[in-house]
Amino acid sequence: MAVEIDKRSIWLLLVLRGLRPLFFLALFLFFWYIVNMPAPEGLSPAGKNAIAIFLLCLTLWVSNAIPLAITSIFAIVLVPLLDVLPRKEVYGLFGNEAVFFILGAFILAGAVMHSGLSNRIALAILERFGGSPRRLFLSIYLLGASLSCVMSEHAVAAMLFPIVIEITKGLGLRPGHSNYGKLLFLALAWGCIIGGVATFLGGARVPLAVGMLREATGKSINFAAYTAAVLPVVAVMLTVGYFVLTRAFKIDIESVAGAHSLLARRIHAIGKPRYDEYGVGLVLLVTFIGWVFWGAKGGLATIALASVVALFILKLVKWKDVEEYVNWGIILMYGGAIVLGAALERSGAAQWLSDRTVGQWATGPWSAVALFSLFSILLTEAMSNAAVIAILLPVGIGLSKKFAMDPSIVAYSIAVPAGLAFCFPISTPANAIAVSSNYLTLKDMLRVGVIMVAVSWAVFNLAARFYWPLIGLGY
Amino acid sequence: MKNVLVVISAADSSDKAVEFAVLAAKKEGGTVFALYMLEGGSASDVSERFTDMGFIGDKPSTEVSEAIMKEYRQRGYEELGRVQIKCMEEGVPFEPLMEAGEEGAGGDFVARVLDCIASRAIGLAVVVRSKKKTLARYLTKPPEDRLKEAAPCRVEVFD
Repeated sequence: MAVEIDKRSIWLLLVLRGLRPLFFLALFLFFWYIVNMPAPEGLSPAGKNAIAIFLLCLTLWVSNAIPLAITSIFAIVLVPLLDVLPRKEVYGLFGNEAVFFILGAFILAGAVMHSGLSNRIALAILERFGGSPRRLFLSIYLLGASLSCVMSEHAVAAMLFPIVIEITKGLGLRPGHSNYGKLLFLALAWGCIIGGVATFLGGARVPLAVGMLREATGKSINFAAYTAAVLPVVAVMLTVGYFVLTRAFKIDIESVAGAHSLLARRIHAIGKPRYDEYGVGLVLLVTFIGWVFWGAKGGLATIALASVVALFILKLVKWKDVEEYVNWGIILMYGGAIVLGAALERSGAAQWLSDRTVGQWATGPWSAVALFSLFSILLTEAMSNAAVIAILLPVGIGLSKKFAMDPSIVAYSIAVPAGLAFCFPISTPANAIAVSSNYLTLKDMLRVGVIMVAVSWAVFNLAARFYWPLIGLGY
Repeated sequence: MKNVLVVISAADSSDKAVEFAVLAAKKEGGTVFALYMLEGGSASDVSERFTDMGFIGDKPSTEVSEAIMKEYRQRGYEELGRVQIKCMEEGVPFEPLMEAGEEGAGGDFVARVLDCIASRAIGLAVVVRSKKKTLARYLTKPPEDRLKEAAPCRVEVFD
């Protein structure tokens, strides 16, 4: 057997091997230094410790050196240990309504996936509307967007991926060569990303932002108000996205007959809708109506959890299915982010940080929104959107006090752009899925993604400046 | 030189490389061994991304990962079929091979190809330069160049 000898320099090998321990050692020393230094003027010792924890978590979230959820648990451990907040308060924050809303929404989305309802809807829509290459592309794009309004965009991407793969095979598209293949996978990713910011349900980042906002200020954002503020932005971005994609990747096939017969075969194979599909659909519809009309009064989490109970009473789902379809780690991540946000706010560290960072550059509410949305949309390309919110929102809330702004506007300007990651596979699972198809390369994604990031930021800021005052969100 | 090895993968395949390999084997009266490298990395990357930041649980994450691997495997059979057709057209004996392995710090790709060269008495290896840019590629030599240095036979690299 031939054995390859590693001919790289011994120093390079040692550096590569020792990088991780060195990183943690440097991080620990940096953390130790801040914790032991005297508190700067205008900041309490608890505030200084909160900033030390914040910087530690920021580094770990950006570097991804340990799983995101574990970084959050680390924050939960450090906050009471360094006397930033009492232990009882820390664990009480973990029981925040936002965490339970996210849990309920995950279980509902899991039930929709498990029942096969989402798959059936997807196949039926593609079969019905995807009659030509352009219409098929548009169907995937809009289907991804509309399904992401009612369930997690990641769940939608995961569900649609095997269907789109089969379509590309049915059409005989060659990976790496076919423009239409690139177009379909980017339609899948972009549809999910753009649609995912339209409501509270596309991802858990908006509930997280609302939870942090409520803990810090007592203010909240309701389901209908959020959708009313963001829907026009989503509509414009979907339109721009359509033109960017179709200009960048010209459709290079004439017919989609192969895909059409394949979809018809798959619909035939899954048979007639079953009891659990009807049942889950009905529960989801009632829940959605509840969130829109009684969300503010009844509480989003209460409605979500009541629907989860209904799923079990109606025997539509089993606990085993729930376990398999819910990402429990991410719930820990969100709970920890809320604890960290509250620690920064209640210790006065958020105000101190914002005065010395963004507060120096922002000259008024308009520039604060522009800056936070810019940081958010750029940071989300390199890190988890929940981590972006956990890092920026406490600082943003601190700054909103300086300009006497409604803090919910800052929450919007961080939470919405945090969901708009178009450039890299590491940014969001939808992008990772699209690139893993091998139909498109990182270069393809980056080429159009950069345009979309710039457009999204501009559209968001224009909406904030000119549309939001019309619905009572002025600043 | 008798036997010719042509290495392909889902991300990196080249008609020119295949044609070159088949014609070289025809000229020498040898066999074409087509090695398809199954890249498990992309599938596990997606699964990790879902586990780390996704809003879905283990089951759908695993299903996506399996769908990607299934697709890669099917694509492998198709790519190997394409090489086989070319060999049949030219009247050259053909043997398909499929291996899990890809470029990485551990040099998995190079080790697999070297194994194949040694066990099949390969006289010429034809590889396609990877389009994927990873951090390791900036720190170390590209795997194609490392293969060229380590291989006991001639190695042709196609872009």
